[in-house]
Amino acid sequence: MFLKRQMPVIIAISVGLFILFGHFINIAPVQQFVNNDATQWFDIIASFAIFLGALNMLKLQVLKVVKKQRNWQYSILAIVGFAFAIFAGFFFRGANYITLSDIDPNNVNQLVEYISTVQEVKDTALMVKGIESSLASYEIPKIFISKSSAEDFAILVSGLAKNVTLGVKPWGAHVQIEGSLFSWMFFKIFTPLSSTMFALLAFFVASASYRAFRIRNFEATLLLVAGIILMIGRVPIGEFIPWWVVSTLIVFGIGALIAPMIPDKKILFGLIVTGIVLSSVLGIIFDWSLAINTPGILSIPNISEWIFDYPTAAGSRAIMIGIALGIIATSFRIILGIERPF
Amino acid sequence: MNLLKKVFIALGSMDRRFIFLLVALSVLFPKLYPDLFTLPIKPSSHSQRVFDEIDTLKENSKVLVSFEYGPSTKPEIHPSAIALLNHLFSKNIKVYAVALWPDGNFMATEAFSQVADKYEKKYGVDYVNLGYKPGGEAVVKGLASDIRTMYTVDLLGNDIDSIEMMKDVTNLLDLDFIFSLSAGYPGSKEWVQFACDPLGIPMSTGCTSIQVTDIIPYVANNQIKGILSGMPGAAEYEQLVRNALDARGVMVEPGKASINMAAQSMAHIVIVLLIILGNITYYLTRKSGKKGGVQ
Amino acid sequence: MNNKLLAISGIASIIILIYWGTFGLWFVTGNAPAFVGVIIVSSTIFYYIDAAKSGKEIYLRPISGLKAIEEAVGRATEMGKSVLFVPGISDMDQVDTVAGINILSHVAEITAKYETDLNVPTCRAIVMESAREACRESYLRAGRPDLYYDDMVHYISDDQFAYAAGVNGIMIREKPAACFYQGKFYAESLLLAETGNSIGAIQIAGTGSASQIPFFVTACDYTLIGEEFFAASAYLSNKPELIGSIKGQDIVKFMVMLLMTSVFVLDTVRQMGLFDFNILTFLGLS
Repeated sequence: MFLKRQMPVIIAISVGLFILFGHFINIAPVQQFVNNDATQWFDIIASFAIFLGALNMLKLQVLKVVKKQRNWQYSILAIVGFAFAIFAGFFFRGANYITLSDIDPNNVNQLVEYISTVQEVKDTALMVKGIESSLASYEIPKIFISKSSAEDFAILVSGLAKNVTLGVKPWGAHVQIEGSLFSWMFFKIFTPLSSTMFALLAFFVASASYRAFRIRNFEATLLLVAGIILMIGRVPIGEFIPWWVVSTLIVFGIGALIAPMIPDKKILFGLIVTGIVLSSVLGIIFDWSLAINTPGILSIPNISEWIFDYPTAAGSRAIMIGIALGIIATSFRIILGIERPF
Repeated sequence: MNLLKKVFIALGSMDRRFIFLLVALSVLFPKLYPDLFTLPIKPSSHSQRVFDEIDTLKENSKVLVSFEYGPSTKPEIHPSAIALLNHLFSKNIKVYAVALWPDGNFMATEAFSQVADKYEKKYGVDYVNLGYKPGGEAVVKGLASDIRTMYTVDLLGNDIDSIEMMKDVTNLLDLDFIFSLSAGYPGSKEWVQFACDPLGIPMSTGCTSIQVTDIIPYVANNQIKGILSGMPGAAEYEQLVRNALDARGVMVEPGKASINMAAQSMAHIVIVLLIILGNITYYLTRKSGKKGGVQ
Repeated sequence: MNNKLLAISGIASIIILIYWGTFGLWFVTGNAPAFVGVIIVSSTIFYYIDAAKSGKEIYLRPISGLKAIEEAVGRATEMGKSVLFVPGISDMDQVDTVAGINILSHVAEITAKYETDLNVPTCRAIVMESAREACRESYLRAGRPDLYYDDMVHYISDDQFAYAAGVNGIMIREKPAACFYQGKFYAESLLLAETGNSIGAIQIAGTGSASQIPFFVTACDYTLIGEEFFAASAYLSNKPELIGSIKGQDIVKFMVMLLMTSVFVLDTVRQMGLFDFNILTFLGLS
């Protein structure tokens, strides 16, 4: 019982206080622990904990397939994907490379030709230059997933240099190197899938905006107007909105604000029309159609930038301060052991 | 008049899938017919600031570029990375790459493979990729005190002390600029809070449009020198870099962000029109007391 | 002024004096504003926790999102459907996730009482284990340990969008009647909220990610904005010490507002040339 109830609280309180005040204490081992070791401990724990999660996920998917629960076919995809990633990461390096030593300078162009059969060569002259500067030892830029394809290519180029050596990239680097099996999986499977999910946001933003941006009250109207200005102002098409459109919209906006104060709608209409005519006349007199003459307030991109720099920054700061205080209070409760989510 | 009202109410009650179709078409047409949808890109003050900060760096300056994005946010941030590397390599600036996200490794590798060869940059001499380290802000703090506490080898497994350009670099104070390509946590905020602001190292960032509201207070405070906000920011920076390199006689292809801006513009227009339509329907249905809305 | 306040102020002042006196010796230089801030904030929160424990009545304004939690679970029970709880995509090192797990324990207690199915997909293995402990304790507290099983809290993927895809799939297949999004979210927030909206679920969200709040406000029925999310566990538990910490947090916010106003006024006056004292240098901000 002590291990389950009191021990976690003692660990949380002592480590929390140590890390909090360790930040201010001028003792090298304490600073080292606070700045580096503590986070590394967490990373190590999280890395091992991933086994728990992965096994849990695998267990649920396998059970679904075994018990043939609803939509069990999709679980096969999940299991196959999982197995493939494990295979490509831990069991199959798929990162074979070829090094040529003592290349005959007369064979450089032939070598570039052979390389272009296995990999796209954007700049032949640049590749020739690169090979000529490393005739003693040159690593073919292509990474071969299978050893047999590497061997086949090695046989092809064996006559062009004194020595042809096959190698395999070390474990770890094989995950990062472009052209390896893991890299292929990342760029050809994972990247399109992630991009697709992120792209869904565009559609969901459209449907959410369509549903939510309604002129229900003053705040909702302000949100709507700011949203539209920002959407138009942030793209090149905002530059094409002429000054007179913006001035007319501003006059309408002012009209909407003062409308409750003017009961006679004819007077209101007259004021709006006067405003539009006045702004148009001013625009013609001062030649606002020229970009250098256009006042900033009549340019949608400028208004959009102003909204970003001032109201957005101010609101963002306020929310950040509030959230930071919330985090401080919650952390304080956890450090003192008042709140025990564990 | 009644017919018009009915049409608007019907349009206002359309299935969300029809909205999705409209958005898809608005993105598809500019991609299929790019010549019909060419739009000039005018840089904003924030993008201009980023360009100016990088442009004032001298030859052989040392810049750290941190890759904190993955495949999902690649369309928004990768164009900034490519334009940045074009800018840095064209000025013969040394580039030190790190990643606070595991996916950042792949993004960095791809970016370097796309750009480095064009400027005949040699790995280890002109640029180095130190790779990903877990720990978020702890990595940033570690780099601020001593790079070798975090990295003993680079991404390819080479001993860091055998890399020529690492010889006179001990910690972040030995660098002239930091650029964070960030899509979330850990990202630009961690760089500002734990490295750039305390140590006084100038920093800029390229981030997703969603993150801009989080980062803009730091830009307003001059803690971050300019920001490339999402794809529009990337397109503006691409334009600036392209113009600058054109003037120096270096040919640069149009960047992906610039090409995609037409599609984004059309999508924004469609969304704005849908919002206006929705409000007209809302106004009409409120008057007549009927129900309407997305299904 | 009461004795406890004097005592706490006294202890705080002594600690600050010790810090000042041993600058560079025991304590790292350059962190003085942060240290003083930590002491003042801690003392304030501690004072109000103590005051609340002593029986002082503390008023908290009602938060509709928290009142709706029981209503949402009740709705799911009536419809015979499950409750989905998404604790965010970050690990337990983020306070948002901890706050989310606190709310989960309350939701789990209600689902135990109402015998409603609870589904908690997680993005991190450590969060999965913590969430399991929280749910197990809640079901035990509600007197229904028989209803708890480990697989109600399960792991999907560490990757943000793989997790979002998995949760969306759960929502579309199982059609939960109530969806809770309580934790740290990033771009996937709108994906989750819109999918939840499309299945007609009642949605209650809360996050410390400022940039995701607008998406939740747009798509969800109730949203806990900013500090409301961190205060939720105090509200739901009704424990005096937790409520006291909320009051302390509010007083600290008031102090921050006072400080901001004073710095603004003093620095404006200095820039106008009427005053020589540089408050920014004094506070170590320039």
